[in-house]
Amino acid sequence: MRFRVRSISLVQATTFVAALLLTVAGARAFDETKYPDLKGQWERTAAARWLDAKTAPFTPEYRAIFEENLKDQAAGGQGTDPTFTCLAPGMPRVMNMYAPFEIIVTPRTTHMLMDHIHDSRRIFTDGREWPKEMEPSFSGYSIGKWIDQDGDGRYDVLEVETRALRGPRSYDSTGMPFHADNETVINERIYLDKADKNTLYDEITVHDHALTRPWTAVKKYARKAVKQPVWQEAVCAENNPHVVIADEPYMLSADGFLMPAKKDQAPPDLKYFRQSGK
Amino acid sequence: MDFRCSFGALAVAAALTFSLTAAQAFDDSKYPDWAGQWRRPPGVNNQWDPTKPRGQEGAPLTAEYQAIFEANLKDQAEGGQGTDPTYMCIPDGMPRAMNVIFPMEIIITPATTYIHIEYLMMFRRIYTDGREFPEDTDTSFMGYSIGKWVDTKNTGRFDELVVETRFLKSPRAYDSSGIPLHPDGKTIVKERFYQDKDKPDVLHDEVTTIDNALTRPWTITKNYNRVRNPIWVEAICSENNDHIKLGTQTYMKSADGLLMPAKKGQKPPDMRYFEADAAKK
Repeated sequence: MRFRVRSISLVQATTFVAALLLTVAGARAFDETKYPDLKGQWERTAAARWLDAKTAPFTPEYRAIFEENLKDQAAGGQGTDPTFTCLAPGMPRVMNMYAPFEIIVTPRTTHMLMDHIHDSRRIFTDGREWPKEMEPSFSGYSIGKWIDQDGDGRYDVLEVETRALRGPRSYDSTGMPFHADNETVINERIYLDKADKNTLYDEITVHDHALTRPWTAVKKYARKAVKQPVWQEAVCAENNPHVVIADEPYMLSADGFLMPAKKDQAPPDLKYFRQSGK
Repeated sequence: MDFRCSFGALAVAAALTFSLTAAQAFDDSKYPDWAGQWRRPPGVNNQWDPTKPRGQEGAPLTAEYQAIFEANLKDQAEGGQGTDPTYMCIPDGMPRAMNVIFPMEIIITPATTYIHIEYLMMFRRIYTDGREFPEDTDTSFMGYSIGKWVDTKNTGRFDELVVETRFLKSPRAYDSSGIPLHPDGKTIVKERFYQDKDKPDVLHDEVTTIDNALTRPWTITKNYNRVRNPIWVEAICSENNDHIKLGTQTYMKSADGLLMPAKKGQKPPDMRYFEADAAKK
């Protein structure tokens, strides 16, 4: 009898445990222990440059465009760097990480929040296929897949592919250009350093018709060791001294007047003022 | 003995449950389901009070700020921008961001609730980790927001997010009519986010603004409709912005990209730096 009672108690307890586990598992749809801990504030560990332009595998046509851009920049222009008027840097340039960023992992989407110009990203991880039609954007359309590479029951790599990009975009402020057809495809592998969980890597491979072969860069980010990071708002348009009038770049002086960006640059045509003055 | 044995088994059960609880730190069943895309209801434009026409919202402004608002309306009627600062792609800031010009996404995590509004890439971090307001921090257009989840019906599930936002910077207006906020940086915005009790795809945000340009706190309620399988469209304000500000003057860009007057009889901009260049030659 005592044994029986004891057995019943164990059975009841086991049932109780099972019921509890089931309830908890059912109630908690997001098992974040399956995902790497990417919380906190991440910062770049190097200058906000893509890679050395000398190593760029450009086609001769795009090498010439790049060289022409360098000449224009040396003369005070902006060349093929389109972000000076606060245009979004787009992919993959945003991964140069101009300002600290935050990664929010949810089962359906991984968000990257970057307070720079218009740099934030959504990476869909809900198993969707590529839509038949996608509105091109500077950030592109990103689909990701979590991989448990070492089979320990926890994801350790986020593989991402980004398509549906629009231009103009460049790799960084040197103006290294992308093909104007905007058929760029970007593959990424995002993972924590195995030995240092405060180091994050993004292995980025760019497929683009301005290149003779895929071009891979590995970006490294460091997690700031603070419990409550300070996030600073960046508003590109707030004090931007660059102005474009009829495709010509100009600068704003400290006292707010238009001034040349290049030596001997002519002032903009003010014909509409002459007409209105009639 | 039997009791001891059962107690032991229950202890195992409790321990197992506890370790599972610790491992799965984010119990999202405790939070409301606000996933998806939230949009302004059809027919609601970008006015602050959605129940009234833009510019006729009856803001309880002090006499001084009512005069500023009226001067702004006059300037806007002449082609200027008045006290609406966003024409140069400055973020709406709080509370105007909650007009939700472009759709909004709400991402709930235990420590922070994020509100992401595509327009001008505005995102809000609402800290729900129990922190206090810092004694001092940089001001920003979106401000510093602290939230608290509330289980108003005692169902074991939070149904309301109460938020307070401070440390706001200027210039800001409530909407494009230019209703101004005081530039002293002392605005406090209090919000209650909650789902409609009958329509789970309707979200309300009751927003109370406390500001020294007002004679009393001003409360309005915003409503948003949910789209379950959304398409997110990128909006880049600076891409085709046809406004140019040079010094204190605002001009327009013509279709061919040239400068043109925004107001009747407006003088051309001062080209002194070009003339200085020419004089040097």
